[in-house]
Amino acid sequence: MARIKLERISMRFGDFYAVRDISLDINNGEYVTILGPSGCGKTTLIKVISGIWRPTEGKVYVDGMDVTDIPMEDRDVGYVFQNIALFPHMSLKENVAYSPRVKDQGDEAMESLSTEYLELVGMLARAGMFPDELSGGEQQKVAIARALASGSKMLMLDEPLSALDARVRVELRYELRRLVKKLGITVLHVTHDQEEAMSVSDRIVLMRYGAIAEVGTPLEIYRRPKSVFAANFIGETNLLECTVSDKSKNGKTKLKLRGGEEIRASKTDFKVGDPVVISVRPEHVYTATDGLEAEVTAVVFMGTYWRVRTTAASRDFVEYNVSSDDEVPSIGDRVHLVFNKKAIVVFERPRGGIEGEIKLE
Amino acid sequence: MDGAPVSFLKRVDELSGSSKVRRSWFAFACAVFIIVIVVPSIFVVTKLFTDWGLVDSVINNDGIRDTVLSAVANSFSIALVVTVIDIVVGLPMAWIMVRKDFKGKKWLDTLLDMPLAFPTAVLGISVVMFWGAPEGVELPGLGIVVSPYVMMIFLHILFTYPYMVRSLSAILEQIEPNFETAAMTLGASKWTAFRTITLPLFRAGLATGFILCFARSLSETGGTYIALTMMGVESTFFTGPSFISWLKSDTSVYSADEMMGAQILISVIMIVLALLLLVVVRKAIAGFHIPLKKVWPDLGRKLSRGPLPKAKDVLTIAFLLVVVLLPAFYIFMYLTQPIPDIDYGVLLGSIATSFLVAGVAVAVDIVIGVPMAMYIARHRDGKLGQTLDGLVNVPLIIPTTALGFSLALFWGGFGLSESFALLLVILGHISFTYPLVVRNLIGAIEEVDPAYEEVAMTLGAKPFQAFRKVLFPIVKSAVIAGGILAFTRSLGETGATTAISNTVNTVPIYITKLVQSGDYTEAAMCSIVLIAICFVIMLVLRLVTSRRSGRDA
Amino acid sequence: MPEIILDDLRKEFDGVVAADGLSLTIGDGEYVCILGPTGAGKTTCMRMVCGLTKPDSGRVLMDGRDVTDDSVDSRNATMLSQTYALFPHLNVYDNVMFAPRIKEWPEDSSKQIVRSMLHMVHLEQKAEWKPGELSGGQQQRIALARALASGSKVLLLDEPLRALDARLRINLRKELRSMAKEMGLTCIHVTHDQDEALEMADKIAVIRKGRIIQFGTPREVFEDPATPFVANFVGRSNVIVGRVVESTPEGTIVETQSGMRFPARPSDLAAGDEAVLTVKVGFTKITRMQEGQPSAVCVGTIERILYEGVTVTVEIAVEGVGLLSAKLPNRKYEEYSPGDSVGVYWMPDKASVFPMPPEGIEDEMRLD
Repeated sequence: MARIKLERISMRFGDFYAVRDISLDINNGEYVTILGPSGCGKTTLIKVISGIWRPTEGKVYVDGMDVTDIPMEDRDVGYVFQNIALFPHMSLKENVAYSPRVKDQGDEAMESLSTEYLELVGMLARAGMFPDELSGGEQQKVAIARALASGSKMLMLDEPLSALDARVRVELRYELRRLVKKLGITVLHVTHDQEEAMSVSDRIVLMRYGAIAEVGTPLEIYRRPKSVFAANFIGETNLLECTVSDKSKNGKTKLKLRGGEEIRASKTDFKVGDPVVISVRPEHVYTATDGLEAEVTAVVFMGTYWRVRTTAASRDFVEYNVSSDDEVPSIGDRVHLVFNKKAIVVFERPRGGIEGEIKLE
Repeated sequence: MDGAPVSFLKRVDELSGSSKVRRSWFAFACAVFIIVIVVPSIFVVTKLFTDWGLVDSVINNDGIRDTVLSAVANSFSIALVVTVIDIVVGLPMAWIMVRKDFKGKKWLDTLLDMPLAFPTAVLGISVVMFWGAPEGVELPGLGIVVSPYVMMIFLHILFTYPYMVRSLSAILEQIEPNFETAAMTLGASKWTAFRTITLPLFRAGLATGFILCFARSLSETGGTYIALTMMGVESTFFTGPSFISWLKSDTSVYSADEMMGAQILISVIMIVLALLLLVVVRKAIAGFHIPLKKVWPDLGRKLSRGPLPKAKDVLTIAFLLVVVLLPAFYIFMYLTQPIPDIDYGVLLGSIATSFLVAGVAVAVDIVIGVPMAMYIARHRDGKLGQTLDGLVNVPLIIPTTALGFSLALFWGGFGLSESFALLLVILGHISFTYPLVVRNLIGAIEEVDPAYEEVAMTLGAKPFQAFRKVLFPIVKSAVIAGGILAFTRSLGETGATTAISNTVNTVPIYITKLVQSGDYTEAAMCSIVLIAICFVIMLVLRLVTSRRSGRDA
Repeated sequence: MPEIILDDLRKEFDGVVAADGLSLTIGDGEYVCILGPTGAGKTTCMRMVCGLTKPDSGRVLMDGRDVTDDSVDSRNATMLSQTYALFPHLNVYDNVMFAPRIKEWPEDSSKQIVRSMLHMVHLEQKAEWKPGELSGGQQQRIALARALASGSKVLLLDEPLRALDARLRINLRKELRSMAKEMGLTCIHVTHDQDEALEMADKIAVIRKGRIIQFGTPREVFEDPATPFVANFVGRSNVIVGRVVESTPEGTIVETQSGMRFPARPSDLAAGDEAVLTVKVGFTKITRMQEGQPSAVCVGTIERILYEGVTVTVEIAVEGVGLLSAKLPNRKYEEYSPGDSVGVYWMPDKASVFPMPPEGIEDEMRLD
């Protein structure tokens, strides 16, 4: 019902391209997150899709129809704002009934739609209250109900959880996904929070500098990121500089760390001598009797596990996890680290150095 | 950084650490505000009780009573009509200024403020010349013959319209644009979104604009009197303030007691009604229910797209040009005439007096206004804060003529009379410019995150150090902007000055006198000189404020 | 040595209680996080420490000295504000120089201090910039440098990372803590983010409705919560309401209305008491139902599985209980799929039991 297609969209403000040449297909009923650091153009993109802004170049199609020049009030797009923007002079019910009202759908539709959607987000009992009587999380639920009551088949969520407390955020994101999946609508959700993106999306679009850096399911991007930036931005990871030292006939690669220690990786296309960076997540680093020598610099309690921070003999900083039931090393201890070979991802070493590549702002 | 001033500041820094000292300083500023500004402004009301006889004789004299009542009625009805027109035409203009972006917007923005920089006396001349050049004026006007009442409305729109647009824009800017966007993504057309969302959120701004314009129109003296004089009806058609001016200029018609009684009566009626208005309008507009239930999607659509919104914008701008800007600038046509003989000695003398009065008034405003503004800005929720906030508006609401008259009576009771005329005029100008300075400052301080001062204090700064090293540099440009606004306002004031004294010759008074004697050309030339001075000041204001917004961005 | 003691502080704003008998002892050089939902009174608590808010009653002691009536500037407790509050009219260098100038330290040593602080936050090359020209993270670091340059031994951090991007926040946690530790500061850090608190704090004070409901190390707060609210606020928990049917030194057993029994650690509750059982989703495990699996405490159907990076969240619908969540390591993702019937279990000593809160469970579990 709502398939969205973006064709070479660009949005220019003066000389500055907020979004440059983006093409993207979104399937009906898909939950897509647009993830990226501040200023990467993610909000601009959904504003273009909603018709709040007209793109300087490119076209937006919904269900095969070109909607680029259709004004926002006729696009039937539900939009939820970061600052919530519930109408302060209207009760919750009036807020939710706003869309049926301005479309002149009649009193009955107003009544039944507002009841239905307030019920859906669990706020029906407080229908007569005003927005300022609610907590942030509750307000955002009503805002979502208001957007849904417009009957639109696609929902744009513009950092919908950013203004809320961390713990409320976590709870609401599970609820959000449950809700929209039940209704089967297409969702575009903008966020800078990679954890949020991971747990709600069918697919993540990672953006940077106004362009798409990478697209994939949470699993794909987490396990097999295609760039150092993605590996670091989505989930925490250890990045180690290496050089390819050897390759077997079937492509299995051996790498040499800066300190000369050798580690094994799976098959790659790199040649012997290539400068590379490997990414290995903390949960794939283990201690052993033999391996990369490292000194423990900090041990941090993270809830269900401990995070151990070390400085390796190769001058790399390596972190790994220890279950909260297991014994934890002390600061200053020497440990030997091994990496899960299958979980090592090898990248070409960025020309500008790792620092520049993983810069967050 | 040499010895003496540093040690003085240091002593103040030290003293500011004590909450007792801070409280006393604030109490002092409050006391000055109450004793020097509020009480003298409304002192005349007590005359009802102490000198009832004077008032009574006026009430019992049918002739004077009817004149007084019709003058007051004229004042209020003109103010009402003007304010309603301002709202109707000001709203789309405010909309254009805040939500639209177009080439030349900066120009429009500056032009909009220009009539504020013109002394109203000058506007009076200019407007009458533009619509229908009266006898004795060499320049051609439009030649439209209108009644004095209609002419007054044309005139008053000139100096109230910019206030209206400014206060509406200020509120519009504060309304989250996301509200409208949200409404539109929900299917509302632009017009429906505005009517159902923005307009209801707008009431407070409407009330402020209404009161500002109404009070300004009610209290205007110089321009009104000049325009009436030029039309030759100054002794037959009155507004409240023009009646007082006329009484002062022509002392032969009534006895001294009658004059006193009539002035008291007019002042009291106008003060009481104006203060009532302050309360009633706020209540009325807050309670006014804009019908929201029904929507007309098709009508909304028609009004939002196609030729209608364009036509609305064009009409709005046309109104600004034809009814506001052209009449205001028409006086420059005199530059095409041969330059008349002006008594430069008198002109320069009056300019010096004007500058002295305005300068001293603004300086005093700032010194006693800063602590007041700081308190109000940071204690908006408290009872005292709200009360003071309301009181600050009082001198703004009271017609300046009544204010001047009241003030002269008050200080006269302390033996400060004609010989201290200059001092009294300054006190009067302090009263009605004080709110302009303080309002501006409150707005600026409220925008400053209190965290700046708080962090400064946790870094070891005493309260006064936090003020002078952190807060003041941040709001400095607002202080200057408020000061310049007050300065130009003082420069153009006629009513309060005449009501206080006949002997203090400020520029607007001088111009009025020239008009009274029929020397229109000379009056016009003096006006142009005054405008030139005001214009330079306005330019500085622009520069200062634009630098501020530039840095914020 | 700055040890800070808050002694029975009370504060009301227009009838709203922001501090209701707050008492807390913060040791010298400790990094304490005050953790709680919006409106719990976290910021009021911190403002009373530095003197920006005067308590209605109670005392604030620093090094054993009563400073309750001392002015803000004399307390030597510096605040790092949520909005950074970098003075917009001063450049970076002058911002950091603010405290040394106010305190009239000798010019030479002041300069040196400022330089070394800017060096520490890696922003020496930005000394001439105006705050508005810096990114959020850079502004945050300059605010920190300015606070550190004041020579105060007490640093108050008011949600210092809130305005930053999520990913950046994670990086700055480590940085912020290590700098504070390096300088030997006593820190009070206010936050609503439990991950931030767990990772940064030596001790966490969980605050709610103006009261401290638990004060302890991150591990104590996480593993041995004082109330059902703490159990669910600091890390998500599964919550089960029922009645105690067995309470022995070996453990407690809670029975739901539907008659299902769940094990938990030993408690003071007696059989028959109404009780709330909580177990962290991270300690909740699932298993394939097979013959002879006595450890599973209930059986349910998997509703959905969310891949979240390090972990996988599995939601299991259990009849008579509702939805239970289990957070598993990501390698388990391929092992299960929605619709599978699985057993849910946990180590009894990972589950806490509490008496039923007097205001009811709804009110107790509210997160905001």
